[in-house]
Amino acid sequence: MDALLSLTVANMKSFVRDRAALFWTIAFPVIFVVLFGTLFGGGGTADYRVGWVDQDRTLASAQLEQAFAKLGVLTLTTTDQASGLASARNGQLDAVIVVPAGYGAATAAAGSAAAPGAPLALTLYTDLSHPTDAQTLEQIVSGVTTGVNQALSGRPPLLSVQTRPIQGSAVPTGATYYVPSILAMAIMQLGVFAAIPLVQQREKLILKRIGATPLPRWTLVGSNVLLRLVIASGQTVIILGIGIVGFKVQVTGSWVLIAGIVALGALMFTSLGYVIASFTRTEEAANGVTQVVQVLMMFLSGIFFPIDLMPDWMKTVATLLPLTYLGDALRQTMVGGSPFVPLTVGLAILAGWLTVCLGISARYFRWQ
Amino acid sequence: MPSSPGPADAVVACRDLHKRYGALEAVAGVSFDVHPGEVFGLLGPNGAGKTTTIEILEGIREADGGEVRVLGLDPRREARQIKARIGVQLQTASLYPYLTVGELIDLFGTFFPRRLPQQRMLDALELNEKRDAQTRTLSGGQQQRLSVALALVNDPELVFLDEPTTGLDPAARRSLWNVIRDLRTQGKSVLLTTHYMEEAEVLCDRLAIMDHGQLLELGTVEELVSRRFHERAVHFADIAGLEDSRMQGFPGVKRVAYEDGEVLLYTADVPATIGAVLAAADALDAPPHDLSVRRASLEDVFLDLTGHALRD
Repeated sequence: MDALLSLTVANMKSFVRDRAALFWTIAFPVIFVVLFGTLFGGGGTADYRVGWVDQDRTLASAQLEQAFAKLGVLTLTTTDQASGLASARNGQLDAVIVVPAGYGAATAAAGSAAAPGAPLALTLYTDLSHPTDAQTLEQIVSGVTTGVNQALSGRPPLLSVQTRPIQGSAVPTGATYYVPSILAMAIMQLGVFAAIPLVQQREKLILKRIGATPLPRWTLVGSNVLLRLVIASGQTVIILGIGIVGFKVQVTGSWVLIAGIVALGALMFTSLGYVIASFTRTEEAANGVTQVVQVLMMFLSGIFFPIDLMPDWMKTVATLLPLTYLGDALRQTMVGGSPFVPLTVGLAILAGWLTVCLGISARYFRWQ
Repeated sequence: MPSSPGPADAVVACRDLHKRYGALEAVAGVSFDVHPGEVFGLLGPNGAGKTTTIEILEGIREADGGEVRVLGLDPRREARQIKARIGVQLQTASLYPYLTVGELIDLFGTFFPRRLPQQRMLDALELNEKRDAQTRTLSGGQQQRLSVALALVNDPELVFLDEPTTGLDPAARRSLWNVIRDLRTQGKSVLLTTHYMEEAEVLCDRLAIMDHGQLLELGTVEELVSRRFHERAVHFADIAGLEDSRMQGFPGVKRVAYEDGEVLLYTADVPATIGAVLAAADALDAPPHDLSVRRASLEDVFLDLTGHALRD
């Protein structure tokens, strides 16, 4: 126990004193949070699946549905409010539009000379854990309502849009999508970068030297894992802290569950680091492979770009990569994001990756 | 279980040790004992199999064949017990670059059931002023001293030093020699490898000469020299025209050898041999440069055994 703790502390000191390692695991994700939190926006042109809730059921509301359908970017599904919102929360719909009862009457009144009262509000429910999509949808819907209002020119505006989050009580901000993603990215990097000191220590015969002491090997592995878990906790606190304080991210899920997912992710990616160290002999090679792995993971796993926007081949890759599921699991638990797969499935996939990586490392990792 | 090879009190006993790497037979049937309290040296060129031998004894490499006991234990089955009681210094000295000397000594201490206070190591290896320096800032000599310090943290009974002074300047080398002498004074046994003749002569109570995976000769320096050379060597810069066969016939000369452009005449009668050399040189009108006499040394033993000189 003494040796395990001393070794972990020694590794921690080495880690903190090596400025490069410190930058990549702490400063880099922080820069990401700040950049993304500040700059997110712009958007893609996806085909959005929108639930259409018509509480008016008049000719006018049917015409409004036609107007939305003609845009070509929305796939409308007729539904009722409760089941529409439920579908949105589990990811089957991107948004829900509710046309209130009285819409037909109001347009008829606007057509006549009678002056309408307050403008009538369409309600748009969007998933603010996907802020880019939410913004785009809001623009699309207000584009249509502006058109309707212009058609009745000379009159006070008839229609307005009220936007609400599908998550209900929580009021997420744009950073809501990115903060779990960045945390997932940081954990991934922390894990795969474990390969570098391992290969370094093997190349410099530090592992061999320690092998000449009575220290059991599990202690060596254990201290490495412990170090990664401690750093992962630090990253979680820092990244979430900045998200909560700086960008008003509201954490809705259970902290215990979040901690568990962070730990599972750190273990899984650290074991991937061991796999990389099993197949690279020099520090340069380990550096190269680690960079390639982390860049591919970052851009192909849907943590920064919604998977729906990806071409099919990329989607296939994304569904294979563990980072997809870590990001998804964290988003679901932390901010109630709509799931890519149910949480239990995501966690099972991560556990599967962990098992496979452990098996490969146990078979191929060399101490000298 | 086979009975323990070698004398009962030997700290190291190995018989017919074999180790093969692919086609290369790195260790081909090595047998020797190390007695308690002695400094035993394995002397040989790079690639002779010294490091492989020592690493098998340390329990970090497995032999393909042969019988080994270290402190009476079998490295194959009881490596952990052995490792707790031995000190190991590997050929490469680099260690956790971002830890300080003091931190590293303390860290290694925790790997052992029994450890000495940090201060003892700092004093013994003259590392006091470097205690708070990160190891990446140390000079080669300091790193090597640290490496030896780490081999001593558990107050070992037997210390393995693999080329401890390679790459050191003469002053640093001498200071390490003093450390090794101190170890013997404390009653510890030391097994060291070296390819420096002088080091082996100065430090080792007994030594084995190793080449191509085999032990060629074993004994004290005195024994090794007197076993082969009753003579002294008269040596001088090679003289053109002075034939090998002619020198063989000089009075007292037993044998002629060449080394680094020098002629070595091993002789039982130094004055007569020198007289003959001077006369022959005079006749050829070529004065013999650097003419001198020396006792046979380990160098001569090695040359005689292997047919080549030992170099770094």
